[in-house]
Amino acid sequence: MGAEIAYTQKRYGTTSMMAAIFIGIFFILLGHKTQAKGLILGSIFSVLNFVLMGEILPLIVGPSRKKSSFISLGSIVFRHGLLAVPLILSLKMEWLDFTATVFGLFMVQIMIMGDHLLKRFHRSA
Amino acid sequence: MDIDTQILVKSAAFVGAGLAMGLGAVGAAIGEGYTAAEANGAVSRNPELSGDIFKNMLVGQAVAESASIFALVVAILMLFLGVPLNNLLNGAALLGAGLCMGFGAVGSGIGSGFPGGQACVGIARQPAVTPRLTTNMLIGSAVCQTPAIFSMVVALMLIFMGFDKAPLGPTWAALVGAGFSTGLAAIGSGYGGGLAAGASCEGISRQPESVGNVTTVMLVGQAVAQTPSIFGLLVSFILLFKRFPESYELQSAMALLGAGLCMGFGGIGPGVGNGMAAEGAVKWVARNVKRSGELMRIMLVGQAVSQSTAIYAMVVALVLIFVV
Repeated sequence: MGAEIAYTQKRYGTTSMMAAIFIGIFFILLGHKTQAKGLILGSIFSVLNFVLMGEILPLIVGPSRKKSSFISLGSIVFRHGLLAVPLILSLKMEWLDFTATVFGLFMVQIMIMGDHLLKRFHRSA
Repeated sequence: MDIDTQILVKSAAFVGAGLAMGLGAVGAAIGEGYTAAEANGAVSRNPELSGDIFKNMLVGQAVAESASIFALVVAILMLFLGVPLNNLLNGAALLGAGLCMGFGAVGSGIGSGFPGGQACVGIARQPAVTPRLTTNMLIGSAVCQTPAIFSMVVALMLIFMGFDKAPLGPTWAALVGAGFSTGLAAIGSGYGGGLAAGASCEGISRQPESVGNVTTVMLVGQAVAQTPSIFGLLVSFILLFKRFPESYELQSAMALLGAGLCMGFGGIGPGVGNGMAAEGAVKWVARNVKRSGELMRIMLVGQAVSQSTAIYAMVVALVLIFVV
């Protein structure tokens, strides 16, 4: 179980960061530095959130129901608190673009969808 | 007076942010819980596939969490954006935005958990179709997020459109009503879309060769299930963009608030009902692919009849806005 989750984390985490850096460089070349920084910051936190989800998963499955509920609730509160950090920073700091940060926060989800839709396309072709 | 206005607008921002994130977390948590519960059953049925099942659960939960991240974005904006505090209408707009995003994320959060759970069960039943199940789960979950996206759009419009030139009465009621209209109507559509997506994962695992027909019927069913939330969006847009003549009579404000509540509550049942019709069609298409055309027609007729109550709600909402 652990190996499968670690592989999934590594795969989507790496793809998301590579996509964020690639799009970020493209933005910098176009002169949109604030968007590039926002996107990369949002993506870092998106990957962190995904990694934490996967790390906490085995902890939830093993112990008693009471302990599992406590860990699950704590995980949700902690992860959402973590995701709030780049949003607050981008609203407070002028060198970060808010819209790009929000887009970055969905980078893992976008990569998951893109990966599976691409596979589906290849299967049907 | 200025200090009172500032306190009221700030309070509305705090309450709005609390509603957005608090209600927004409810749906995603229930949806993720459903996925985990079904994953438990799947692992106990086929323990040697626990790795694949947990991987699918992780990916499914990551997508299902999107609705609560939308709510988080709206809540943080309300708390830290620094909306001008000199106009009471900004307070009404922030409260409306919080209600809209909070309610709007509930249905999508719960609904997107259904395909995740059913995909886990399906993997345990038919390990050979795991990639197809995961892709179908992701498409179904993504479509479930549409009503939450509608709610986020209305919430962002309420936060960013300026209402400085509009009169306080009855515009405050129109802004809160706009939040109720899309937010509440999105609950049924998100939940209903999830029912159809869940049934499609179950269907594919029973009859892997039916994947094409099942996905088509799922997408058509989900599209029709979104209609009540589109009606809600339409009423919200009218409430946001129509200029209402200045009036401080309570009944004119209540007519606009009532319009939003009418369309919002009126959209919940049809959204769920349409989803149930789509769920039934998808389920039986997988078992009897040859009859898929007939089953889709029955689904569409059933959805059209179920939709009629949302149309009645929209008509009454429009009467409240334009006639009363």
